[in-house]
Amino acid sequence: MTQRVRAAGLVSLALLAAAAALPPASDDGEWTLPGKDYAATRFSGLTQITPANAATLHPVWSFSTGVLGGHEGQPLVVHQTMYVVTPFPNVLYAFDLTQEDFPLKWKYRPDVNPSAIGTACCDVINRGAAYGDGKIVYNLLDGHTVAVDAVSGKEVWKTKTAELADGETTPMAPLIVKQHVFVGPSGGEFGIHGWLKALDLATGKVVWTAYNEGPDSEVLARPGTFKPFYDKGTDLGLSSWPADAWKHGGVPVWGWLSYDPEQDLLYYGTGNASPYNPEQRAGDNKWASSILARHPGDGALVWAYQLTPHENWDYDANAENILADLVVKGQRRKVLVHFDKNGFAYTIDRTTGEVLVAEPFAPVTWATRVDLATGRPVVDTAKYTGASRGNVENICPSLEGAKSPASPASFSPQTGWFYVSTNNLCMDYQARQVTHIRGTPYMGLDNAPYHAGPGGNMGAFIAWDATTGRKVWSIPEKYPVWSGSLATAGGVVFYGTLDGWFKAADARTGTPLWKFKVGSGVVGAPISYRGPDGKQYIVVYSGIGGDWFLLAGDVRSDDPADVRPPADFAKDLARHTSQGGMVWVFAVK
Amino acid sequence: MKKLLVLLLALGCERANVTANTVPPSVRYDAHVNAGGLAPLAGQLRNPFAQDRKSATDGGQLFAAMNCDGCHGGGAAGGEAPNLADGRWRYGSADGAIYQSIYYGRPRGMPAYGGILPPAAVWKLVTYLRSLPVPDDVPTESWR
Repeated sequence: MTQRVRAAGLVSLALLAAAAALPPASDDGEWTLPGKDYAATRFSGLTQITPANAATLHPVWSFSTGVLGGHEGQPLVVHQTMYVVTPFPNVLYAFDLTQEDFPLKWKYRPDVNPSAIGTACCDVINRGAAYGDGKIVYNLLDGHTVAVDAVSGKEVWKTKTAELADGETTPMAPLIVKQHVFVGPSGGEFGIHGWLKALDLATGKVVWTAYNEGPDSEVLARPGTFKPFYDKGTDLGLSSWPADAWKHGGVPVWGWLSYDPEQDLLYYGTGNASPYNPEQRAGDNKWASSILARHPGDGALVWAYQLTPHENWDYDANAENILADLVVKGQRRKVLVHFDKNGFAYTIDRTTGEVLVAEPFAPVTWATRVDLATGRPVVDTAKYTGASRGNVENICPSLEGAKSPASPASFSPQTGWFYVSTNNLCMDYQARQVTHIRGTPYMGLDNAPYHAGPGGNMGAFIAWDATTGRKVWSIPEKYPVWSGSLATAGGVVFYGTLDGWFKAADARTGTPLWKFKVGSGVVGAPISYRGPDGKQYIVVYSGIGGDWFLLAGDVRSDDPADVRPPADFAKDLARHTSQGGMVWVFAVK
Repeated sequence: MKKLLVLLLALGCERANVTANTVPPSVRYDAHVNAGGLAPLAGQLRNPFAQDRKSATDGGQLFAAMNCDGCHGGGAAGGEAPNLADGRWRYGSADGAIYQSIYYGRPRGMPAYGGILPPAAVWKLVTYLRSLPVPDDVPTESWR
């Protein structure tokens, strides 16, 4: 099934990139942040599992979380303890890895408002926790952030960060940098006013709030500090919207954060503009569907780049921004690499926000290319949507994105390549006028049916060379690939599929090495750690969910009052999987 | 036991008075479990538009206008929130039960619309939902 897209010439290029890549710190065998490290590489330096022995991978332990729903995100491993956060009701488990059977040290069961179930756009998922200063910090779905003592399991603080009544929920994984915890809301389907908050790690008190749209005073865009590479002017978050539309303009923060200590810059992507009917918000709608770089200390905006101006297709830019140092066009550059829902993969100078490379990594019909001189996509105007435009057909990618931001990619400094779960879905899109009613969805979308893109396979797991913007290899998959990815120094990469397989492939060739049926579709992100016995382990969640279409296939069985017709484009998904909630640990023999 | 009954009767009477004024009437549906086997007192909820086609059409428009389809999907076939067109009801299938779900909301995320929708509009939504045809093959999904 593996497609070798390019041949030997690439290998030498890749080696060049590897030489210039950030040197991997000697791996401590732990996994303390959602993306493994500040750079969000999801690269484990452990080497025991190799292409030669991967076929002997086998499960050594499993645990039912007792919760159904999309098991996104990843566990943490700190001080020989594994921490697992479940979807709503957001139970936190602490497993003792030093004992046979990994018994629980404790579990923490927060009181989470069940009304959040109806305010979460996309299942009741949670994307995981971060560790810092002896605390496990994560978000509850109902708009609270909690810090739990990593040893005792006692709650240290609990802060209300988001307003459920305004349509805000908080499934994202916080990032901890020094003494700050960074949190943002979901709610691009509810017309929120998106923000990022910094909390004090010791007390949970909110230190600063930066909005993603609105006047400079709220966006924290200060003269002299804010220097976007492409845009000029002040109050861009105000002037690029109709009067007051920004107040319900969406622009959520539901993806991943990364941090560059050298630049002292925090990076995150923002989501769609509200509502989905773009005719109700003429203008670029800054900073929706953008990447923002802020100083973590005071939140000051340093640069911002809008990937999809006047976003028409629910192309959130919440995907992870992976930091690497790569040789691009003959020059060593400090870059961030971002695989966007809009189908383009961006290699961006992370010090300035300049786009160096932007190439499609999946079929794209809404734009022909990204103009590197202006940073703007060259849009096919026939693909613009809106209430007055009726049903606009065959837009690729679909609003699920060419890659779900919920499925973070990984980067191997050894190969210099990125390993990415991708979707090959296109859609029709029929917008309509919508009224903002507080506490209810604010969408304006009548219908957006999907169909498989060119080739017919709805997904692929690919290796990507971000220095040139080229696919290196691709493993086609029948269904969209919705899991995170893991790269390891042993030269093996891992991902999972919606029909419930967890898979290993050779990082250099894309040759499938091993697979195991984990009981439910995989939407979580695998990790690797070194156990007390010195062995390398791989952990992944199974448990399909995290999006309406993953439920529309009627993969659930727990509610007799809710039976769904299958989704047209994936009629047989429920033949292969039902909802679940398992933690799996694997090792080689 | 007698004491308990007297107490319950006394509290029940008091409760009934309060209910008439401020507290939402309790939910009635077939699967509801009543403590002591006694159904709570509740006001009669009769759908004034039951089976009226025009009201069902109006209700369908309200279903979109009030953003119901944002969660329950187009045609109420299910989205983030349950399918309302499968003939199955978590909180009861009687018109009055559906009315209460919309008017007062439900604890697992259904917002209360009673504050912004007059009772007549809620009944039209109920009439719309009850008008949706239930597919024959709901219980069985087969791939062969």
